[in-house]
Amino acid sequence: MKKLLLVIASLTFIFSLNLSATPHSSEAPQAPVVEKEYESKTMGELIVSFYETTGLNAFLNPKEGATNAHGEELTIFQQTGGRIMMILITLLLFYLAIAKGFEPLLLIPIGFGGLLANIPLANIIGPGGFIGELYNAGIANELFPILIFMGVGAMTDFGPLLANPKTALLGAAAQFGIFGTLVGAVALSQYTDIFSFTLQQASAISIIGGADGPTSIFIANKLAPDLMGAIAVAAYSYMALVPIIQPPIMRALTTVKERKIRMSQLRHVTQLEKIIFPLTILMLSLLILPESSPLIGALTFGNFIRESKVAERLNDVMQNAMINMVTIFLGLAVGSKLAAEKFLVPETLAIIALGLIAFSVGTATGVLMAKLMNKFSKHPVNPLIGSAGVSAVPMAARVSNSEGMKADRTNMLLMHAMGPNVAGVIGSAVAAGVLLSIFK
Amino acid sequence: MEEVNLVSEGLKFMVLGMGTVFMFLILMVVILNFQAKIINKYFPEKPKAVKSPSKKKSVNDDEVVAAITAAIMKFRS
Repeated sequence: MKKLLLVIASLTFIFSLNLSATPHSSEAPQAPVVEKEYESKTMGELIVSFYETTGLNAFLNPKEGATNAHGEELTIFQQTGGRIMMILITLLLFYLAIAKGFEPLLLIPIGFGGLLANIPLANIIGPGGFIGELYNAGIANELFPILIFMGVGAMTDFGPLLANPKTALLGAAAQFGIFGTLVGAVALSQYTDIFSFTLQQASAISIIGGADGPTSIFIANKLAPDLMGAIAVAAYSYMALVPIIQPPIMRALTTVKERKIRMSQLRHVTQLEKIIFPLTILMLSLLILPESSPLIGALTFGNFIRESKVAERLNDVMQNAMINMVTIFLGLAVGSKLAAEKFLVPETLAIIALGLIAFSVGTATGVLMAKLMNKFSKHPVNPLIGSAGVSAVPMAARVSNSEGMKADRTNMLLMHAMGPNVAGVIGSAVAAGVLLSIFK
Repeated sequence: MEEVNLVSEGLKFMVLGMGTVFMFLILMVVILNFQAKIINKYFPEKPKAVKSPSKKKSVNDDEVVAAITAAIMKFRS
């Protein structure tokens, strides 16, 4: 919890410094390419001209009207202090990933992408730069999030959900974080001057409450591409911070007695059920919500390959090589949005705050729904598994398990929490589909 | 374009969104329960064939190893 406060406090500090920074104009530079003829230079001139191409010079002598890789003009602050701050933020991400073990597989590529994005003059993130090209290849057209979903499908065992389908309702309740925050965000936009988001932007921000990185990127790209960087970073950071954010909320809403509740053994699920499951889900999404079928289609495809048991090689590639490779590309490309001129804007602060609210509300409604189910269900339901209804597979389920074990060392909730956890993935994909269909 | 009341729009989104999410997942629960009943009634999984007693010892070893491995994997995951 202390670490989280520290992160938020430092971000707040950075933004308060930069609130006055003016938005950059989008005037593109007119620089016809003329091949220069080489003229003989003295050693002194060579050294001076070399110095002018160094990063040191770019930091020390920022030029008025210098442009970034996309041809947008940068303020003096964005060229100097802003870049240095962003580099420090990426170092903080490395620290969190390596020393604290927060989602290192994601935060390291994102942080390194951010580091590269803030190198002056190199233009790695612009057209032609390798990260810029990765961005165009996979994020601008939403390919990478879909491929990640395919890998997630291949990695996910829906058995616990099939064994106890009614826990899916917990995955539905946790989506209230998304819509509750949406209402809160537009209310604050309408009646206060703190920030002014449009409905599209507010929707894209509140999807962070679904705790699903690929879904957040998918939606942000469609509804609010300008806010993509901050949304993706917030979504992945909160997923990494699940073990810190969720437990206090879970403990506040449950009693020790409730946390000790033991759940009945899950029934055996036959292979045939597991094979038919992805097809059933796909049919449902096809009938009700075609808008979310890119996400659900990829998820069910990956899962179908897994459960078919006859395409082991494809399954292996999907859940290992493919998802790992795409994670590297996606991380770097998302990191490119950590460039100072994109990230150090007032909206980022609001996105980080709203994301945290969305996430916490989702956790709380999941737990409350589980309490409600415990009251009315024949079989006891431990309220701790409700928090796993936000997606963040499998981290959220592990948190439920470890909180359960804190109350009673022999109470294993992991498999029970996996049910709402995987239902949460489907739930947030459905919520995303609804939001997309509204703005279509 | 006339002024849109963002809050009332947001509330409408919430009703539609939560309604759809719940409807989708409740429908899923119903279908899955139904599906499980049908499958377990008409296509029950064949019980594992009992191995011949002559190889009893080695088979048992294999089974024990498999069970332990499975338990370890489950514990670790």
